[in-house]
Amino acid sequence: MMYAGIDIGSNTAKAAVIKDGQLLGTQVIPTGYNPVTAGIKVFDLLLEKTAQVKTEIAAIVATGYGRASVEFADKAMTEIICHATGAYFMNPTIRGIIDVGGQDSKAILLDTSGRVENFAMNDKCAAGTGRFLEVMANTLEVTLDQLGNFSRRADTPSKISSICTVFAESEVISMIANQQRRENIIAGLHESAAARVAILANKINIREPVMMTGGVAKNSGMVTALENRLGFELLVGELAQENGAIGAAVLASNLSNK
Amino acid sequence: MPDTPLETKKITAAKKMRELMTHYYIDALSASQNNKQVAWITSGGPVEPLLAMDIIPVYPENHGAMIGAAKMGENLCEKAENMGYSSDLCAYARADIACSVFKGGPLGGLPKPDMLICCNNICGTVLKWYEVQARFYNVPLFILDTPVCHTGYTAEIARYVQAQVDEYIAFLETLTKRKFNRDKMARIGKLSIDAQRLWQKVLNTTAHKPSPMSAFDAFFFLALIVTLRGTQIAVDFYTDLLAEMEERIKNNISSIPNERYRLLWDNLPIWYQLKWMSGKFSEHHACLVADTYTSAWCGTLDYIDEHHYLDSMAQAYTRIYLNIGVDQMADQVIDMVRWYAADGLVMHSNRSCKPYSFGQMDIMRIVREKTNIPVLMIEADMVDPGNFSQSQVETRIDAFMEIVKHRGHGYDVCRH
Amino acid sequence: MKEIESFHDAIRDVSAIAYTIKKKSKKIIGYLCSYAPEELIVAAGCHPMRLFSSKSDIVLAENHLQAYCCSLVRGVLEDSLSGRLDFLDGTVFPHTCDSIQRLSDIWRMNGRYEFFADVVLPAKLNTQSARTYMKDVLTRFKTDLEAATGKTITDADLSDAIKKVNLIRNHLSTIYTLNSRNPGLITGGDLYAIVKGSMVMDRDIVADLLPVIVTRLEQTQPPVTSAKRIVVSGSICDSPVFYTAIEAAGGVIVGDDLCTGQRWFEGKISEDIDPLTAISERYMDRMNCPAKHTTLTARGENLLALAEKNTAHGIIFMLQKFCDPHAFDTPYLKKFLDEKKIKHMVLEMDDQQQRSGQLSTRIETFIHMI
Repeated sequence: MMYAGIDIGSNTAKAAVIKDGQLLGTQVIPTGYNPVTAGIKVFDLLLEKTAQVKTEIAAIVATGYGRASVEFADKAMTEIICHATGAYFMNPTIRGIIDVGGQDSKAILLDTSGRVENFAMNDKCAAGTGRFLEVMANTLEVTLDQLGNFSRRADTPSKISSICTVFAESEVISMIANQQRRENIIAGLHESAAARVAILANKINIREPVMMTGGVAKNSGMVTALENRLGFELLVGELAQENGAIGAAVLASNLSNK
Repeated sequence: MPDTPLETKKITAAKKMRELMTHYYIDALSASQNNKQVAWITSGGPVEPLLAMDIIPVYPENHGAMIGAAKMGENLCEKAENMGYSSDLCAYARADIACSVFKGGPLGGLPKPDMLICCNNICGTVLKWYEVQARFYNVPLFILDTPVCHTGYTAEIARYVQAQVDEYIAFLETLTKRKFNRDKMARIGKLSIDAQRLWQKVLNTTAHKPSPMSAFDAFFFLALIVTLRGTQIAVDFYTDLLAEMEERIKNNISSIPNERYRLLWDNLPIWYQLKWMSGKFSEHHACLVADTYTSAWCGTLDYIDEHHYLDSMAQAYTRIYLNIGVDQMADQVIDMVRWYAADGLVMHSNRSCKPYSFGQMDIMRIVREKTNIPVLMIEADMVDPGNFSQSQVETRIDAFMEIVKHRGHGYDVCRH
Repeated sequence: MKEIESFHDAIRDVSAIAYTIKKKSKKIIGYLCSYAPEELIVAAGCHPMRLFSSKSDIVLAENHLQAYCCSLVRGVLEDSLSGRLDFLDGTVFPHTCDSIQRLSDIWRMNGRYEFFADVVLPAKLNTQSARTYMKDVLTRFKTDLEAATGKTITDADLSDAIKKVNLIRNHLSTIYTLNSRNPGLITGGDLYAIVKGSMVMDRDIVADLLPVIVTRLEQTQPPVTSAKRIVVSGSICDSPVFYTAIEAAGGVIVGDDLCTGQRWFEGKISEDIDPLTAISERYMDRMNCPAKHTTLTARGENLLALAEKNTAHGIIFMLQKFCDPHAFDTPYLKKFLDEKKIKHMVLEMDDQQQRSGQLSTRIETFIHMI
């Protein structure tokens, strides 16, 4: 039997399919303007990629902000539960998750059976989210993918003291005007964002081993800054961004096993 | 521009002041070795009865200012946030709460209190803050509840606060197991009044053009009137400081070179930006000659009866600047604008201090209407730099100074 | 139930209710806080009207209050300045937090309504001198009301008002008890409407409707439910979406520690002693708001008792953004719950900006977790 999970985030839509407890494949596309079409499209592309047909899929769980937009899903569940399940599926020793997505960051604590024991999320402010880094990348005229490389070449990271995205942006602009190195500014931004995320992790007394998931996990600069801040290593899988969708697929299989 | 720049020179009393403060903190930190009790008290709280009972008063708010000035606020505030305290709360409280647990800050933490004295005449925040500390240290908490005098000091408020002064003394007698000495209290009351009068005179000297000191100096010299009022030390120090100011006036020594514009500051300082900010205003030949904050420690002298200190104390502590209506606060600001001949008003909208900051916009409107001077509002925080944008503030100050200059209120000291 | 519908109608259009009340030539006195002595307003023949923000965009209030002031205070000022509260004859400001303290000044200086009063309540409620002072300020408020209405408030007036207010509070308490015993007996949305409606509607009408609702509910067959039992703690909770989100996620509210809930209506006024003393005692002894001091752990103990009495599966803290008194208490309250292994979650809310997506994600996950 096959099961699928679909995760509609603010920036990207992800889908995953599992068969007999094994991951068959995943797919990521930009969400775009319409979450309904994004859900249909990412699912179709996933089936095409894994050479499967819709009728073979026994159950589908949708998650993410657009979870209610996936009309063909059997159930909608929050991305927190899906991330927990996904991380546990990939690595059952995981006890903590730090998920930094486009508009939210979260810290999740898992019990030994992979259930959510506690969690914390950022407030409505964008500090410490992917959105924060996106705004700053724009100001600094680099792409999101380049942030990690720039950060690695920093010698003395700049000090960004403002928490507010708007304030921090004006701070960055004056740093550019003062001709501070772009590498240092970017490293400083990562440290500032990492400080916000670390507060969430501390709120729930996160336990190791901790996996980092979400799109921002692909940014090595942010991962390093977070590791320095937390004082331990983060596990970042190849499929960090798709983790929520994988969890949703696992939950879909539990759904019909019941 | 004058041909020969006027002389500016450092205020020599600063060195003495540092010594006195160091001494004070050493005494406080070694209190337990000397079998002395320590009370933590709010900045606007009645400290005189503590001195009369030989209890060492310690001020978490003064400590908060030190943390801010040492730029240690960000780190401690973050620790408090990790403990679950929202980043929207007062940064003094956040820094102090974190400091108690982590022993951080410039002093490695304050001496452990034997009791807590909380007077809510400055805000409701201190009530919550001291509750947190009373749970943490598990020591007795005395609350002196001074109802807000929105429109006046009513008979029932007078009765209530007066009754609490008696309760306060009984509380101290119980904790020290000593009888309250009324003669000593009278002597200390007199010293407190003398120090307040001297501090007021020091602040008054800045009405002189050019001003012999600035509000930035006042923020620094304030520490003694807060922590040591009621002692001979404070009286002696402010006597000397006053003499130095008078000397500076006589020799035409100014706080900043070529003072041309005189500004009034409202709210607490931005402790971690004092140097930058005084430099910034100085570039524009603007001197912050006075402020509403440092004068709060001598603002209720009129209500004090020096022969009946304990009886008049209730009224004096209840009617301080922050515990009155916004309209009365506006009147006081206008009086200051006139007394100090200010060309502009700079208001610090301070995220940490809601009772000081809410109402500022109305005060701004009233001041503009009644005095016609320009008013600038800066968004910041007294200790947490997370809510401050230097470049944004800089642009605003530059634009504001253009308006002040354009209004032509400035004067040229060399004309005299 | 048509009686419950009346409450929904009332909160949908508060000004319509207000103008109906005015037609009976009753003066309307507004207030923002559960410490406002409604009994005195009722005894003066006036209508006590709790003010909530209409959640309109903040435009005019921007000229008076900074963005770091809570949305209730800014929102209500906006409503006043834009004329949405023109039905008011006056307002009363009991002293609670720093923000409302300054709102009172700004409000008074604006002088929009005929009657204005500050009731500068004590901040500590655990001493005899505070008790005496409480009665003193209430006496002053009574005198102020008499001056405004030109009518003497007699002890008989006070006793009648106490009876009416007690009747309303007792019935609200009964509805909560019934719902806690049989969760789902009444929907969260209905419960919200009844409590909020009771703070804005003509109290005579409320006093007639509530007993009918109680009788009906007692006869209703409770639904079978496996919903998770939730207790809510915080200041005001004026978000219907919150109640529906809890139900949609499989939860049910069985009790609260809210100033728009049990903190407002629990605590009966004695009908056997001098009425003004009785009113004063009730405000001293009711469960305190965090802006008031009783003991260092009173609120923690109360929350535990609430959780135990209602066999709650979890506690949700509704924290108004920029509400200092509540934000200061949250860490210690959480610790109290942790020690008893009661699960909890903090939801920071803002009247003006509600990201319902994030709200439902949090609530769903929490209810799934407990």
